[in-house]
Amino acid sequence: MAHSDPEYDDQGADDDDDVVVPGRGSRSMVSRPKGRAQAKWEAAASRNWELQEGADGSLEGVLGGLEEAGKRKRLLKDTTPLQRGIIRHTLLVLDLSSAMNEKDLRPTRHLLTINYTIAFVREFFEQNPISQLGILGMREGLAIRVSDMSGNPNDHISALKQLRSTEPKGNPSLQNALDMARAALYHTPSHGTREVVIVLGALLTSDPGDIHDTIKACIRDRIRVRIIGLAAQMHICAEICRKTNGGDENCYDVAVDEVDYRQQLMAITTPPVLRSTDTEAQKNNQAALLMMGFPSRIVEEKATLCACHGNLTRGGYLCSRCKAKVCNLPATCPTCDLTLILSTHLARSYHHLFPLRNWAEVSWKRARQKGSVQCYGCLSAFPAVPAQYEVANGDEHDLLFARTKRAEGASESSRYECETCGNHFCIDCDVFCHEVVHNCPGCQSQASLPGADGDGEANGG
Amino acid sequence: MNAVDATDRGAAQEDIEPPSLLTIILDTNPHAWAVLANTLPLSKAVANLLVFINAHLAINHANRIAVIASHSERAEWLYPTPAHVQRERRTGTSHDSEDFEMENGDGDGDSLGSGGPVHPPDDANKYRPFAQLEHALLRNLQRLLATTTPAAISSHPSTMLAGALTRALAYISKQTTSTSSLTSTSSAQFNYSDPSSMAGGNSADPTGTSRTSGGSSTALTSRILIISVSGDLADKYIEIMNSIFACQRLSIPIDVLKLAGSPIFLQQAADTTGGIYLSLETPQARAGILQYLMFAYLPDQTAREHLIVPGEGEGVDFRAACFCHKRVVDIGFVCSICLSIFCEPLADGECLLCGSHLSMANYGQNPVVVAKTKPKKGKKRMLDGGADTGTSGGEGTPAPG
Repeated sequence: MAHSDPEYDDQGADDDDDVVVPGRGSRSMVSRPKGRAQAKWEAAASRNWELQEGADGSLEGVLGGLEEAGKRKRLLKDTTPLQRGIIRHTLLVLDLSSAMNEKDLRPTRHLLTINYTIAFVREFFEQNPISQLGILGMREGLAIRVSDMSGNPNDHISALKQLRSTEPKGNPSLQNALDMARAALYHTPSHGTREVVIVLGALLTSDPGDIHDTIKACIRDRIRVRIIGLAAQMHICAEICRKTNGGDENCYDVAVDEVDYRQQLMAITTPPVLRSTDTEAQKNNQAALLMMGFPSRIVEEKATLCACHGNLTRGGYLCSRCKAKVCNLPATCPTCDLTLILSTHLARSYHHLFPLRNWAEVSWKRARQKGSVQCYGCLSAFPAVPAQYEVANGDEHDLLFARTKRAEGASESSRYECETCGNHFCIDCDVFCHEVVHNCPGCQSQASLPGADGDGEANGG
Repeated sequence: MNAVDATDRGAAQEDIEPPSLLTIILDTNPHAWAVLANTLPLSKAVANLLVFINAHLAINHANRIAVIASHSERAEWLYPTPAHVQRERRTGTSHDSEDFEMENGDGDGDSLGSGGPVHPPDDANKYRPFAQLEHALLRNLQRLLATTTPAAISSHPSTMLAGALTRALAYISKQTTSTSSLTSTSSAQFNYSDPSSMAGGNSADPTGTSRTSGGSSTALTSRILIISVSGDLADKYIEIMNSIFACQRLSIPIDVLKLAGSPIFLQQAADTTGGIYLSLETPQARAGILQYLMFAYLPDQTAREHLIVPGEGEGVDFRAACFCHKRVVDIGFVCSICLSIFCEPLADGECLLCGSHLSMANYGQNPVVVAKTKPKKGKKRMLDGGADTGTSGGEGTPAPG
C-alpha cells in the first residue's frame, strides 16, 4: 500500500485552505505547484540495484531484510485517530472509451478494470458496510449509468459482469461524468461524504462545455474527486483532484502496472479523513444522530414474500419498527424507511476509528534485554541474539552492526515491539495484526499492562 | 504435509483430505467454572476435551492442534508450549523447577512447537503423539492455575477472550503461510485479492461462495473452537469484533460450545464466520459434552459441506448493546461520527464517546404519510388563489358521505 495513504500525511496543511469558499477560491485555483515532484515511474527507474553484501559475503540476510522492509513500508502509517467519513456516498466512474482497448494492462485495460472493480466493490462494502456506492461509465462522449446508488454489493457486481460483454467505444467526457455524479450525489444526506472516483484510461476528455464550471460546482457541492490514470498524467485531472480535495495533491495518480493499479484502487476503500474545512462547511447541518434498527434473523416454517424484492423466502429479518420482512441487510425498510443494519456492520468500521499503533523496530541490545526468543503471537522462533555478554560494550555494538546490516526499515533483530505491552513479534504477525486483525495479541492477552517499568528509557541508549 | 507429498501423484486429488488445524480456546475463567463445579468440573471437561483432541489427530495424521487458555487475567498457550516457559524451566526460575530437572538437557530440539520439552512417561500402550500432547497440555494448565494469584482472580472477573482469539489468529496465519509457502502466499496474507471472501457480511447466502474458499487440496484449513463459560464480554467488544471479522476475511469458522453464561456476540461470531453454535444449558446436556464435541465439532469444513450441521435453522439474535446503559436494543440511535449506539436520544445532543454535537436527524418524524401533506398543498393552492382559509379546510378533507 505504498500509495494508499498519502492523504494522512499533510492534514495540517489543509486545515487553513480556503478552496471550499467559492468566492475566494479563485486565487488558489490559479496557483499551481511550482516544483513538480518526482513522478512515480522516475523513482522506479532510479532504483538502486546494488546490494550490500554482509560481512561474510552472504546475501541472504540482506535480501531477507529487503523483503521485510517492503512489508513494513506498506504497513507504517500514521495511526493518529482521525475523524473519518464512515458513512460514504461514492460514485465510481469507469472509462468505457476506446482507449480501454489497449493491451498494456493484461488482458486489456477494460477487462482488468472490470475484474478489479468487482474486487473493489467487495472490499468497499467490507470496509464501509453502511456506505452507498454507484457506478457510472464514460462512453462515446456520454456518461452512462452502470448501476444505481445502492448498499448491496451484488447489484453492482452483476451490473459489472454485464459490462464485460460490451465493447469500449468513443471518447470519454469528464465533464459529463462529473455532472452526472453531481446530480446523483445531490440528495445524499449531509452527514455522509460525497466522493467520486474516476478510472481514466484515455488521454483526452471531450466535453460539451467549460469543465471549470463543473469543477466549481463540485466544490460547492462538497464532492471530492479522486482519479486513477491508466496511461499518463493529465493536467486537467490533477487540477480537478487538487481543487476538489482542498489543495491535496495526492488524490491523482497514474498506475504504472497491474499491481500498482490494484493497490491504488484498494486504497480508496479506506474511509477518507475528514478535513476541518469540510466540517466547517458541514457545521450547520452536520453530525446527525441516526435512528437505526437492529433486526434479528428469523426462520419461518413456510416461505413468505419479502417486502424488498417480493421473493418467496423462508428466512429474513423483521424490521424492528413495522415488522416488514426484508431478505438482506443492510437495507432501508421499504415500508417505514427505517435504516436496518446488523450491529456487526457498525463494529466493522471501528478499527478505522481506533487504529492499532505501529510497532517499533527492536535493536539487538533491546532484544537481549527483553530476552525474547519467540514471537509472542505465533510462537515462531526468532534468530538468536548473537553476541555474548563478555564482549565489551563498544566492540560488541560494531560487531553486531556489521553482522546484521539490513535494509532500511527492517528490524535488525527481526523483532518488532508493541510499545504498549512490550512484547516482541515477528514481521508476519506485525503485518497480520495491522492489516487484518487490528488487535495486538499482547495487549489483549494481559489484563495489567506493564506501564512505567523503566524499560522504555533503556531502549533509547 | 509429508503425507500429502508422499502419496501417489496419479491418484485423484480430491481424495486427499487437506490437513486441518484446530485451535481450541478454552475459557478457564475460575468464577464460571466454580459455578459449574457440581455438574461439570473443569477436570472432567478437560478429560473429555482430550479425547476429542485425540480424535481430531487420529482422523488425519497431518492434522494439527493448538490450545489456548483464555484465563481471567491473561491468555496463555496450553499447547504448543511457548518457549519462555521452557527457558524458565531450564534456568530454574520456575516455581516447580525441581520437578523438571531431568529434562534440563534436552529441551532445545522441539522449541518449534512440537510439544515442548516436557516428556511424557513412556507408555507402550499409548500412541505417542497423544501422550505427548496430553502431558504438555495438562502440565501447562496446572502451571497456569498454580500461578494465578487470588488477587488476580478477584480483580478480573471476566475472561481474556479477545487476546486468546488474536493469538490464535496470529498462530493460524503463520501456520497457513508456512504450510502453503509453495503457492503464492502474499495474496493470501493481505487477502485483498481473495475473490470469494464474503462482502458486506450479508449472511443471507453463507453457503455458496464463502465455503468454497477453504483452499485447494493441499492448503491447511483452520478452524477455531471456543469453549465458553463466561458471561459478559462487553468490555472487549471492539477487540472481539475485530477478531471475528479477521476470521471472516480468512474464512476461518468459529465454532462455539457454550456451557454457561450468555455471551451475546459469540452467537453472532459463529453466524458471521459460518461456524456452529451450540448451547448446553441443562446438566444432562453438559454431561454429554463429549458426544456434542464428537458429533458436532469433529468434522472440518470440507466434511461439513456434505453434512447437515446442527444449529442451522434457528434465528440469530442480532440485537446490539447500547453504549450508554448496556441495554440490549433493537432500535437504537447511532452517532454518525463514531458509530456508537445509544438506546435513547441524547439529552444535550452531545455524543458520549466522541463529544461531537449531534443534531437529531429525522427522529420524531412519523413515517411519511401521504394524506398528511395533501391538505397542506391544497391550502397553499387555495392561498395562492386568494380564497379564505375557512373553506379550504373543509374542501381538503374528503367527506365520508
